[in-house]
Amino acid sequence: MPREAEPSLNERQFVLQALRENLRLDGRPFDKYRPVELIFGEQYGVVEVSFGKTKILAKTSAELTVPYVDRPLDGIFTIATELSPMTAPSFEVNRPTETEVLLSRLLEKTVRRSGALDTESLCLVAGQKCWSVRVDVHVLSHDGDLTDAACLAVVAALRHFRKPDTSIEGGLLTVYTPAEREPVPLSWLHSPFCVTWSFYGDQGEMALLDATLSEEHVRVGSCTISMNRHGEICQIAKLGGTPVDAVALLQCTNVALVKVKDFSAFLDRKLAEDAKRRDKGGLMAELSAENDR
Amino acid sequence: MTATTAPEAKLQVLPRADGSAKFSSAGYTVIGSVNGPIEAQRRDEHAYEAHVDVIVRPAAGVGGTRERHLESILQSSLAQLILVKNFPRHLIQIVLQVEETPENDYANAKLVQASLNFPILPALLQTAVLALLSASVPMRATATASFVAVLSQDGTNKVVVDPPPRDIETARSVHVLAFTSHDELLLAESEGDFTVKEWDDVYDTAKRICCQSGGAKTGIEMELDDAGDNGLDMRRFLRSAVETKVEADLHWK
Repeated sequence: MPREAEPSLNERQFVLQALRENLRLDGRPFDKYRPVELIFGEQYGVVEVSFGKTKILAKTSAELTVPYVDRPLDGIFTIATELSPMTAPSFEVNRPTETEVLLSRLLEKTVRRSGALDTESLCLVAGQKCWSVRVDVHVLSHDGDLTDAACLAVVAALRHFRKPDTSIEGGLLTVYTPAEREPVPLSWLHSPFCVTWSFYGDQGEMALLDATLSEEHVRVGSCTISMNRHGEICQIAKLGGTPVDAVALLQCTNVALVKVKDFSAFLDRKLAEDAKRRDKGGLMAELSAENDR
Repeated sequence: MTATTAPEAKLQVLPRADGSAKFSSAGYTVIGSVNGPIEAQRRDEHAYEAHVDVIVRPAAGVGGTRERHLESILQSSLAQLILVKNFPRHLIQIVLQVEETPENDYANAKLVQASLNFPILPALLQTAVLALLSASVPMRATATASFVAVLSQDGTNKVVVDPPPRDIETARSVHVLAFTSHDELLLAESEGDFTVKEWDDVYDTAKRICCQSGGAKTGIEMELDDAGDNGLDMRRFLRSAVETKVEADLHWK
């Protein structure tokens, strides 16, 4: 498996010189995303997200297990990220690269640690039975800005997912199959999204949104801001690179909020469209066993 | 979800891989990418032929022994098709990512421990062949595959093509057969109890699906053909998928 070819000196100069002249190779403004596409699968919890040539597939699944001994009241929620050789032949199976570690770490911080999914609601019998929800993130094609695309895919997959309905009567736990009872959605608290800025120039004075792979190769630093549409910041990661002016960073968070609101509205619209498509004959409201919160 | 969906394929779906294909049939959706011939690692290097590396990745959970088993079956079949002797010390890497598998509405599946099995094998093989065609890897022949089960209903045995997941559980035996474009048997995997007579029936059914001549049929022959099992013709399907892609690519001419 060969190493990924690094961009040549000429390529670097070309991208950088264009940026200095306020141009991007694909002609986008600096603070604009590539066209975002989101397609839900036939099953619940399967979603394919693409940002231009970056393509991500996320699949959510749930299983009954025993909760961790130190957290008897919480369900289990994991996000599994693995970059396969499908992404690029330089990735190997079962050998995580830096890209992969950073991606899973950021997703973990954004979605899991911010409490987007109510893990307590996944517990069925304290200390004995709980749901284990797992999201598998598959990167099909990598053309930059993996974090933002993967985060959107994970949040979309979790919000689209339905777990089997359960009931407890006299200490007897029953899990209903999809044929018996319509599956229920997860208890979702807020939708965080990632917005990644890439910095260019000696002092990192130029900031770009949604950098492509060639732009990512020549950046001097990057900063990932995760927040929800209420402007609540879940995490900010600026891992090394050239120091960036604090005021510029504040400006970045302001723009990020606008983008997060766009993502949120986009996802709500897509979910509503999908619900409408599945709701054949308007029977969904009657089939649903879900109680209002 | 109904299991009897017609097969669908799309070529060159991933921009960065040498070749890629998305294939869906009978509720299974698989996306495959091919990179090659590329430099092989020292441990995979063969002095006289290319190493064919097949990686099967389940949609949920980590792959286990079942995936490794499928990989080894696919690896040996595909190495027969690809002209491996043309590329000594090279690697042809085939990654097959399962996207969707049909769900059984009457049982809650254990998902975290991934368990792919025989029913998905034809979809995997078909995706691999399509992706190899899309990557223009030189091949001896193309291949088509089918999944056939023998169901016992009211004491009589019935040969069914692509049965729904519920019937697979109760089937007496399941078979995966693949044929090359020269009508040669490439792969025959079976599971369950069956007699030689049953296997012959299965073989005939699978051969009818995989090895139809593909040309236009006329008169009585066509009528007879339509009366058969839903007229599934994998070879014509494979050809039309590639033809559509070539037509779209040469649109500028």
